[in-house]
Amino acid sequence: MSGFTKPTEEGRSVFGIDRLLLRLTVFGTIIVTIFVALFSRLWFLQVLEASEFRQLAKQNRTRLVESEPPRGLILDRNGRMLVRNRRSLSVTVDRQIVDTPKKTRKVLHRLSAQLDIPVKELKDNLQDEAVSPYKPVAVAVDVREKDEFYFEENGEDFPGVAVENLPVRTYPRKQMAAQLLGYVGEISPDLLDSDHYGSKRYRAGDIVGRDGIEYTYDRFIRGRPSLERVVVNSAGDVVDSDPRREERPGDDLYLTLDARIQKVTEKALASGIAAARAEYQAPSGGAVVMDPDNGEIIAMASYPTFNPSILADGYSKKDARKLGAATSEDNSDDRLLNRPVLGGFPPGSTFKVVTAGAAMWSGVASPSTFLGCPPSTVFPPGGGPGSVIFNNWTSADMGYMGFAESLEVSCDTFYYQLGWAMEEAYGAALGDESERFQDYMRIAGFGHETGIDLPYEAEGRVADEAWCEAYRDYFCPIGWLPGYTVNMAIGQGELITTPLQMAVTYAAIANGGRIVKPHLGMSLGRTDEAGEVEILKDFKAKTVRRLPLDEGELAPLQQGLVDVISGDQGTAASAFAGYPQGNFPVAGKTGTAQIGDVDSGLNYAWFTSYAPADDPEYVVVTYLEKAGHGGESAAPVARQIYEAIFKVDDDPNVGLSQDFSG
Amino acid sequence: MQGTFLDAVDRIGGEPVAARMARKAPIRHLDPMLLLVTLLLSIFGAVMVFTATATKQETLGLDPSQYLKRQIAYAAAGALILLVVSFIDYRYVRALAPFLYGSGVIALLLVLTPLGDEAGGAQSWFNFGFFQVQPSEFAKVTTVVAVAAYLGERKGEIRVRDVAVVVLLVGLPSALIVIEPDFGSMLVFVALLAGLLLLGGAKIRHFVSLAMLGLIGIIIVLQAGFLQTYQIERITAFLDKDPDVQSEGWTLTQTKIAIASGGLNGKGLSEEKTQTTLDFVPEQHTDFIFTAIAEQLGFVGGAALLGLFALLLWRALRIATLSRDLFGTLVAGGIATMWVFQLFINVGMTMGIMPITGLTLPFVSFGGSSMVVNFLSVGLLLNIHMRRYL
Repeated sequence: MSGFTKPTEEGRSVFGIDRLLLRLTVFGTIIVTIFVALFSRLWFLQVLEASEFRQLAKQNRTRLVESEPPRGLILDRNGRMLVRNRRSLSVTVDRQIVDTPKKTRKVLHRLSAQLDIPVKELKDNLQDEAVSPYKPVAVAVDVREKDEFYFEENGEDFPGVAVENLPVRTYPRKQMAAQLLGYVGEISPDLLDSDHYGSKRYRAGDIVGRDGIEYTYDRFIRGRPSLERVVVNSAGDVVDSDPRREERPGDDLYLTLDARIQKVTEKALASGIAAARAEYQAPSGGAVVMDPDNGEIIAMASYPTFNPSILADGYSKKDARKLGAATSEDNSDDRLLNRPVLGGFPPGSTFKVVTAGAAMWSGVASPSTFLGCPPSTVFPPGGGPGSVIFNNWTSADMGYMGFAESLEVSCDTFYYQLGWAMEEAYGAALGDESERFQDYMRIAGFGHETGIDLPYEAEGRVADEAWCEAYRDYFCPIGWLPGYTVNMAIGQGELITTPLQMAVTYAAIANGGRIVKPHLGMSLGRTDEAGEVEILKDFKAKTVRRLPLDEGELAPLQQGLVDVISGDQGTAASAFAGYPQGNFPVAGKTGTAQIGDVDSGLNYAWFTSYAPADDPEYVVVTYLEKAGHGGESAAPVARQIYEAIFKVDDDPNVGLSQDFSG
Repeated sequence: MQGTFLDAVDRIGGEPVAARMARKAPIRHLDPMLLLVTLLLSIFGAVMVFTATATKQETLGLDPSQYLKRQIAYAAAGALILLVVSFIDYRYVRALAPFLYGSGVIALLLVLTPLGDEAGGAQSWFNFGFFQVQPSEFAKVTTVVAVAAYLGERKGEIRVRDVAVVVLLVGLPSALIVIEPDFGSMLVFVALLAGLLLLGGAKIRHFVSLAMLGLIGIIIVLQAGFLQTYQIERITAFLDKDPDVQSEGWTLTQTKIAIASGGLNGKGLSEEKTQTTLDFVPEQHTDFIFTAIAEQLGFVGGAALLGLFALLLWRALRIATLSRDLFGTLVAGGIATMWVFQLFINVGMTMGIMPITGLTLPFVSFGGSSMVVNFLSVGLLLNIHMRRYL
């Protein structure tokens, strides 16, 4: 205090006050301390911590807002509507506002009272972990308009509650093609990391296809959301906006499906399963109808099925239970599973055409090969220690036969011999790289994806020595044995195929040896206001490979497949009794893959076929789980499908030809 | 050196009385520094009040400079009062102390009757139509004057009885203010009590006993539930490290974000989209105006403002030491106490080191009563400074 000039009495007293100078100094020191505190706090916040808080401030006031554009429609090949959009009044709750258990309880109880929905259900929906915590969650859909007014009028009782008019997928044909179409939902963190959705186009919170066609073609049918950077005030009101991008509605997707044939395929499958249940468990099954020429999927059915609308609008857990409780041991009740693409089963005798092709390609057989069909065969031939007996399905000796007859009667021992011969000539035991049977299987489309435009396709399994070594602890305890090959020759053992792979390989036999890529997407289009459809893009059909067989080698196989239906001894003859085989000739093969004892009924019943045999237009593959023999359970389903495709009942020529074929 | 008469008088140590009187004339002993600081702080405040309110006024379709105009009018009224106060010898003010104190207390009583108005949950205003008066602001100064007058008479002979009288003098208006309730203003009186007793000659044992009594008082108040829960929450909010959205603590987080995001140089007055202009900060032209300053002008601006306050307090303290009598010292010390306490609480709360209380930032916050009272206080300081030789 430089200005202090008062006379002091020995520096002690001024105006009678004891040590006034000291008191003023103490007073001044307190003031200085306060200033030091304020300055250093200001320095700390604005200089040392500034960058961190600057980020917080920015997050506070700017938001990127995307609008979800209307998703494209999904239609069949003739323009019939499969999936479209509608608007749904939905009640959403913002979990950033309703952020304590107490507030949640209060809000949910009030909502429950107004909407007449149990608190438990609302709570389940609110705790949906698929929705990001920063986005409002739809807890109730399709509420009444008067509910919307109520929430608006009583806003203060419902903090964080909003009624939004959300676009929802709707399915005019109910459960038709449910597993193919898939469903939409908020993108999950896993999907956001995936290759499919990993690009910059997608960000957390987007509504995307989560399965089926909606997944595969998402980038076409989703359209492009508009993007806006908005500045908000503390009340969340938008005070400024900066549009970054225009909205572009999604394109419409035309599928190769034919809604009519899809419908009859699903119906035939369901009724075939119902019929099989008279004797067997028959929990599930699948069917594929494909154009052998270009791989277009005309119909694909999986049973049991569901109505996808329960997945469309923020389904509740109650609904999810309706979709079946799949476990790793038993998925027979899983309704979401698209069995023809994702299911893997041993193919049974339907595989014999593959064995035959491999035998001709590898040179152990020729189109004119004749082999015996004894009741049983022993390998190695001649018996001895370590030898194994492989039985035919019948104890009668059926004598010598060629490829066509071996298919007609489905002789097992005929194919065991081919399998053994290939194993001996080119098998794993030789220690070289040429396992020609397995190589041919891969060429024919097994052991890898067919490349269909659906997600999560199963690869199946071609058992070979490398597989055996890799899974030695699980499947191959003593290493590769020739018996594996012999079993695979009749489609049994460690071989696993999908119904779609079977369709592809039968398409190749039907079309002269081309392996096609099956696909559902046909074209993208857009309908203008006048109703004119403009096609924007055609998805081209692809031939992936050729079978290494010439026409002469395919001919006995094609003949054999016709004889399966037409021949006296044909395994599907009784299933097709009375069918106008003269008008719409079917070529096919039954298959019965054993799980346990053949007669227990725990078999995969298969029928793989194409028609018309002389100029194939359709490949039809049907299979039923735990449903007896292929000829008795699967073939009748295929017959129903063919009858519906060819409109047999309406055809005036049919009766005539039946008389001829008598 | 020319030998003039005056030089001769000087050399012999004499001086003509007229010359001596002229040298001591009050007008020759203005404190220009104090006036300059007051002016700068007021301009600073007016500019910030304008930027903090203009955008919002505009969006409401009102005159964007409405608050600025009113703030200038308050400052002009304050300047007038400053002028008047500085020309009346402060020793007359001492004589008037009982009257001033009495009117202050009566005003505080009247404001609790239906004559007073409520705003922001406190019954603390008189509404005279085109202007409002907050008696608690004026009571601060009248209490300072009254206590200074009383302690000035004691000349340092402080006994327990005197401490009790001072406590009563301070306690009566602060009790009335608590009833309003205006907790922040009440705390200013507590600070005044401490500051005036320190400079007035109280002994250490007096402080110790008062502190003990205060502690017991606080415990009784808390136990008896005189305070509303929201008041306790508000006071302790700054201790909450992870506050809820929409609570007092959240407000604090937002003000802290606003200040810190200002950085060294601030976001500028022209850039519109700041925490402050987007209403993340409440009461940005009154209680939280420091937040607006720090966000828009950065550390440079905030430090400049604190610097101006440092100058102001240095002048006040200097006047306290230069005063011709104890009354002047105590009045200056009381005014300094009032300012430094309000500064500390107001700025401290925006930075999260002090509880949130509704105290204004002297000269800067928007508000007529506080503006007039602060100018009046400058007038008193100037008065004491000018008459230090008379």
